[in-house]
Amino acid sequence: MFNDTVLKEIDDIRARYPERRSALLPSLYIAQKEFGHLSSEALLCVAKTLNLPEADVRGAASFYSMYRHKPLGRHLIQLCTNVSCMLLGSEKLADFISEKFRVEPGGTSADGRFSFVIMECIGACGTAPAMLVDTDFYDNLSEEGIVEILEKYK
Amino acid sequence: MITLTINEKEITLDKPVTVLEAARRAGIKVPTLCHHEALKPYGGCRLCVVEVEKMPRLQTACTLTVADGMVVTTESEAISKVRRGILEFLLINHPLDCPYCDKAGECELQDMVDKYGPTVGRFGEEKRKVPESHKDHILARNMERCIVCTRCVRMCGEVQGASAISIIGRGNRSRMEPFSSAAFDCEYCGNCLTVCPVGAILSRLYIHSFRPWQLDKEVETVCPYCGVGCSLVVQVRDDSIKRVVPRFDLGLNRGLLCSRGRFGYEYISSPERLKTPLVRKNGRLEESTWSEALSLVAEKLGQIKSRDGGTAIAGISSPRCCNEDNYVFQKFMRMTCGTNNIDTVSRTGFASAQKYFEDLLGQGITANMIDGLKNSDVILVLGGDPAAINPVLGLSIREAFRRGAKVLVVGNAKGLERYKTLQVMPEVFREADVLESLLIEIYGARGIRGEKPALDSGIRELSERGCERTGERDFDELRMTLLESVSISIVFGPDLVQRADGHRSLFAVSGLTYLLEARLYLLSEKPNEQGVIDAGCAPDMLPGGRPLSVQEFRRKFEQSWNGAIPSDDGMTLFEMIEGAANGKIKGMYIMGENPVFNLPNGSYIKEALKALDFLAVQDIFLTDTAEIADVVLPAKGWTEKTGTVTNLERRVQLQKKAVETMFGMEDWRIISEVSGRMGYEMNYKEAADVMEEMAKVSPLYRDLTYHEIGKGDCLWPYHGEPLRGEMKTVPEGAAMERDYTEDFYLSVERPLFHSGTLSGKSPALMKIYPEPALRIGTGTAEKGGLKDGDKVQFSTRTGSREAFVSIDDAIRDNRVYFSNNFRGRGALDLMTYNIDKVTKAAGIEGCEVKIKKL
Repeated sequence: MFNDTVLKEIDDIRARYPERRSALLPSLYIAQKEFGHLSSEALLCVAKTLNLPEADVRGAASFYSMYRHKPLGRHLIQLCTNVSCMLLGSEKLADFISEKFRVEPGGTSADGRFSFVIMECIGACGTAPAMLVDTDFYDNLSEEGIVEILEKYK
Repeated sequence: MITLTINEKEITLDKPVTVLEAARRAGIKVPTLCHHEALKPYGGCRLCVVEVEKMPRLQTACTLTVADGMVVTTESEAISKVRRGILEFLLINHPLDCPYCDKAGECELQDMVDKYGPTVGRFGEEKRKVPESHKDHILARNMERCIVCTRCVRMCGEVQGASAISIIGRGNRSRMEPFSSAAFDCEYCGNCLTVCPVGAILSRLYIHSFRPWQLDKEVETVCPYCGVGCSLVVQVRDDSIKRVVPRFDLGLNRGLLCSRGRFGYEYISSPERLKTPLVRKNGRLEESTWSEALSLVAEKLGQIKSRDGGTAIAGISSPRCCNEDNYVFQKFMRMTCGTNNIDTVSRTGFASAQKYFEDLLGQGITANMIDGLKNSDVILVLGGDPAAINPVLGLSIREAFRRGAKVLVVGNAKGLERYKTLQVMPEVFREADVLESLLIEIYGARGIRGEKPALDSGIRELSERGCERTGERDFDELRMTLLESVSISIVFGPDLVQRADGHRSLFAVSGLTYLLEARLYLLSEKPNEQGVIDAGCAPDMLPGGRPLSVQEFRRKFEQSWNGAIPSDDGMTLFEMIEGAANGKIKGMYIMGENPVFNLPNGSYIKEALKALDFLAVQDIFLTDTAEIADVVLPAKGWTEKTGTVTNLERRVQLQKKAVETMFGMEDWRIISEVSGRMGYEMNYKEAADVMEEMAKVSPLYRDLTYHEIGKGDCLWPYHGEPLRGEMKTVPEGAAMERDYTEDFYLSVERPLFHSGTLSGKSPALMKIYPEPALRIGTGTAEKGGLKDGDKVQFSTRTGSREAFVSIDDAIRDNRVYFSNNFRGRGALDLMTYNIDKVTKAAGIEGCEVKIKKL
C-alpha cells in the first residue's frame, strides 16, 4: 500500500475535482513513480485509494501507451530519432547505446541498470541529437558525451 | 405534446424520448448492436443511423432526442450503404466461425449481417487471433468474436454495479477483461452473458451442448432460491434443463438474475436426488416401496395420536416448498394429527420478524414493492447484506444510490461497499441498544405520530426509561439524515432477530417505521417464507394469518374442513425441539427442511430428534435430518411440479412444471396420501385443486386462480390493522449482562453464491465458491497476525473447525464470518442458542471464538 506522503499527494489531487474518477490519471502517474511501472499491485493501490472499481482502473491504465506496463530498469534512456536528430546521426547513437550498454531499444539491460526507448520528437531540433534520461534532458549528443552522461547513472 | 414523422408515419408523444424509442413504440424496427433496453444510450456501433430532415449528416437514433416536427427516415439506400459498411468493418476481425459458435441462431450480428451485411469483405489482411479463455470456471471469453459494443461492461457497471470487467487496451487490441485478465472473481450474476450480442461471452455450463433451435420448450417460471422470486425462463431439451435465461419484459427482476438463479439450477438433476422411499429396518435406511412407506407413516403417527394424543405430534414445514404443499401440511397436522404444533425454520428470522411487525403495525406492513426502493430518498439497511441475501433487491438499493438516495448501513454489508453514504458499526450484542437509542432520539425530535396510541405510548415509555448511548461513529449523522428525509425505506435482515434480545431490535424498528412513516422491507432467504406463514404453518395462526385463538376464525375453517381444530396454540420450533428432547413430542413429520444443519447447536438438535419414537422426513435429498429419520419420502422439486410461492413483497407467483420425472411425488400429494391412510381424506387431483380450496378459505387468496397468478401481478399489499390489536409489551432494557471482552466473534456468513445446502448440489456454484473460508476484516487480521490464505483452527466453546483465512476489507469489526452451507462444516453447529422470550426465535450465543494459526 502507499505510504502516507503518497496518500497525501493523491488526496490533494482528489480535492481538485468534484469526481474522484477524475483523479485517476494523475494518481496512476504517482503509482508508476512509486512502483516503477503499473503492476497489478500498483493498480490495486490506486483503486483502493480512490475507491474505484479495480477493473476500471486497469481499463484506463491500459488505454494510454505512455504509462509503463512492464518493469523497467533503474534508469530510462529515451532517445529521439525524428528528423533533425536522425539527420545528425541519432540512429547510429542508438546502435552505440545498444552495443555499449547492452540494451536493445524497447528492452532492459540484463543488470537492470538501463531501459532504452526510442521516442518521438522532444522539441530539441535546434540542438539535436537529444535524449532524456529519467527526467533529465541532454542535447548535442556524441558517443563520448553519452558515455560520460550515462556513467552518472548507476 | 411532441409530434414527429418517422417513415411517413405521424407519431405523437407526451414526453421526449430518443428517436429509436419513438420508432420502436410505433412498431418501426431500427437495427442496433450496442444499444440495450436495460442500459443507457451509448451510440457506439452507429448501426441505428437514420436520416433526419434539415440535419446535415446521418444521426444515431439511439442518442438523438425527438423534437417537435422532426421528419425521420430509417431505411434508405444511403443508410443501408452505411450499415453495410459498418458491418464490413466489424467483420474484419470477427471470425466467421458460426458453424461452431454457440451463439449461432441467436446472434445479433449474424442476424444483422443477414439483413444488411456485405456478402463479401474487402479486407485482405489477417484477422485478429486471440485464443478463447477458459481460465474462469463459469464464463468463457472469446475475444476474437467481441465487437466491443461494451454492453457487458456497461451492464456490469451501470446496472449490476459490480464493475468487475472493463475494456482493456485500445483500437484493434481492445478486449473485455476482468481485472485479473483470467478468472472473473466477480458476483457471477451472468448479466454480461445476457447482453452479449455475439458469442464473445459464453456460459461454460452448456457450451457446445446444444443449438438454440434444438430446444424442446421454454417455460416461464420463478427462481427457487430466495424471497425475491425473480422470473426466469427455463429452456428444456429431452426433459433436462439446458439453460436458465431471464427476459427483460418478464417479472419484477426485468431481465436481471443473480448467480444462484442463473447458474444454480443443476441441483435439480443431481445424481444424489432421492429416488425411492426409504424405511429404517434394523437400524439402517433401506429402499422401500411407496405403499409400505406411506402406510408405515400413517400407522406410526396414528399410534402416537391414539396413545399420547395429537399434541405429542409435531410438524416442521418448509419455506422452500410451495403454498399448496404448506397449506396441505398444516391441514394434515391440524385435522389428521390433531395438533397445532406446526412451525418452520423461518422462526429464526423472517417468521418471527414478520409476526412481530404485523402484530404491532398491521397486516401487510412489509408488503412493499421492491421497485419502490429506487424512489426512496434514504434507505436504512439493518441486519445483513441485502445484496447477498436478496441480490436482485440489492440492485434496487444500488440503483437508488446512483439516483442520489442516501444509503445508511448499520453493520457489515459487503455488497453495498461502494453504495453507501455512511455506516454505523454496533458492537456485537449491542445492536438493539443502538436501534433503541436511535428510536428515542427520533422520537425526541419528531414526537408522537398519534395514529396508533398503543405504539405511541410504548415508544414514550421506552424513551422515558432511556437507553445508554453507545457512541458509534456517524451515529449523529445517521439520525440527522433520517430526520431530514421524506421518503424512507428500511431494509431489515435476519441477523438482528437472531439475538436473545432480538425483540428489542424489532420494537425499535417498528417504532422507526412508524415514526418515520417508512416503507419496511423484510429480507427473505428462502423462496416462500411469506407463503408459509400465509398458508397457516404457524402454531398460532390459521391460513390467511387468522389467529387461532379467535373462535370465529376457527369455526369458519372447521366448517370448510369438516372437523375440529384444536383450540390451543401449538408449540413453536424450539419448543418442539425441547419437547422431542424431554419426551413430550413422540412423533415428528418434517417436510423439506433440515433442522439438524440449519439451526444453531445442531448436535443437540440431532440428539433431540433421535429421541423421537418416530420421525418422517420428506425431502429431495438425503439431508442430515433425513439420515436419522425412520421413513424418508422423496419429493418432487422445482420445475418438476407446479405450485405457487409468495415473495417478500407478497407477490403470489407460479412455479411451473417444466420437466417430467418418474421419481418422487409432489409434497402435497405425499401428505394427502398419508392423511387418507390415517382416515382423513383429502381429494386433490392436482395442485390447482389445492389452490382452489385456499382461495375459498383464506381471505388472502380470495378468488385467486392459477390463470390469474400466471400474469405475475397478484400482490396483496393489504395495509390493515393488527388482527388482534395486540400491543406487545415494551421491551425491558438490555436483556442480559455480558462480558464483551472477547477478541473475535463468529457470525454466520450468508454468501452470495450459496443458499442452505441446496446450492452445494449445483456444480457451477460449487466451482464459484468451493470451500468455506474464515472471512475476517483487516483489523482482525492485524490483531491475530493473520494473512490471506493462512490455515487456521477456530474454536468456540462447543467445537472447532479448520479453514483458510480470507481477508475482506468490507468487514469492519471483530466479527469473523463462516458459512453454514457446507455439510459437516457449518458454522451454526459451533454456536448455542438462547430463546428470545417474545419472538421465540433462537438468539445465537456462544459465538466467542479463538483463532489459532496452524
